Amino acid sequence: MKKIILILALLTGSLFAHSAIMSCFDNGDGTITCEGGFSDGSSASGVKFRVQQNGKAIFEAKMSEDSEVTFKKPSGSYTAVFDAGEGHQVLVKGSDITE
Amino acid sequence: MRVIKTLIYIKKNHSMIVILITKIERNKNMKKTLIKTVAITALLSSSAYAHFQMLYTPNTALAKGKTIEFKHVFTHPFADEHTMDMAGVEEFFVINKEKKTDLKKTLKTITFKGNHNSAKAYESKYKARKMGDHLFVMTPTPYFEKNEDAYIQQITKTIVNVAGAPTDWDAELGLKAEIVPLTKPYAIWEGGSFTGIVKSKGKVVPYAEIEVEYLNRDVDIKNNKMGKSRVDAPQDSFITMTIKANKDGEFTFALPKAGFWGFCALGVGSDKEYKGKELSQDAVIWVEAKEMK
Repeated sequence: MKKIILILALLTGSLFAHSAIMSCFDNGDGTITCEGGFSDGSSASGVKFRVQQNGKAIFEAKMSEDSEVTFKKPSGSYTAVFDAGEGHQVLVKGSDITE
Repeated sequence: MRVIKTLIYIKKNHSMIVILITKIERNKNMKKTLIKTVAITALLSSSAYAHFQMLYTPNTALAKGKTIEFKHVFTHPFADEHTMDMAGVEEFFVINKEKKTDLKKTLKTITFKGNHNSAKAYESKYKARKMGDHLFVMTPTPYFEKNEDAYIQQITKTIVNVAGAPTDWDAELGLKAEIVPLTKPYAIWEGGSFTGIVKSKGKVVPYAEIEVEYLNRDVDIKNNKMGKSRVDAPQDSFITMTIKANKDGEFTFALPKAGFWGFCALGVGSDKEYKGKELSQDAVIWVEAKEMK
């Protein structure tokens, strides 16, 4: 039994050998689009996404079939968060998002 | 081009014979012949450097999306002893996340200045905003090479990645002449290697002859100008390095220096004739090695 658990643990580990990636751009029409993905090319469809301002989530969504999310550009500083679970969060500052 | 090379060899051998004769018959005032022979050999050798269609942008691994610039120049990237006038462009497109976009309308004619002459070339701009691979393919109009009395058409691939997510780099497009990469062409450290498969319409080309050249200079994007040579070749076989694919059309080449490396599989395309003359339809791919610092 112990052996099985160990193998399972190893398998789970290998699932996370890749890293999470997110890239965002300003659409120039008052909206921002963020795209998520993984270094092994797998889709980010359904992965949690949020926009934070002053430590509070002001927008929450799941990545679309195309691994994308579009949201209204908040005024002031904000952070876009791609949340694929522990150790797999990618943060992009609003100030780094350009057209 | 293979035929021409053989021709050069023959001529070279022939001129060697002539030189030999000259040596023997030096008393008979053959000095003039000797000079002429050497001159001919030199000329022929210079035409043996490989032509390379460039589809150049300064960085193929972008941290995030941005508008990028391309220079489309037909040249000899190592020696830069002659820049050719491009005859035109038949097709130019990009593939991102399996979606094909025609880019032919984005091309603008420019005059590009090499170290020895200027020639007609093109430039273009592209908004590489989407994450993932942007796989660019350009098919130029066949170029008439007078020295060889034949046409050359190099179907050229350059792959640009945004933010590190792999999407389309390994796509096989079924082109008439194509090098399908097995290594991400934008994610190679200096000293690393590149592996590809030579194909024509999806079929492997066993033992394909591949010319390899280092882009031995900076490209001045602003002024459409080539920079000075970075390295000197110890001998001609280091300028255009010729390698061969194995029986499965596969080849691997180690990149000893950071920068751009061009691979050109000669005459592997399905089209063999253009305007009643011989056509060498080649497959070109550009690969970039990054410095480890």
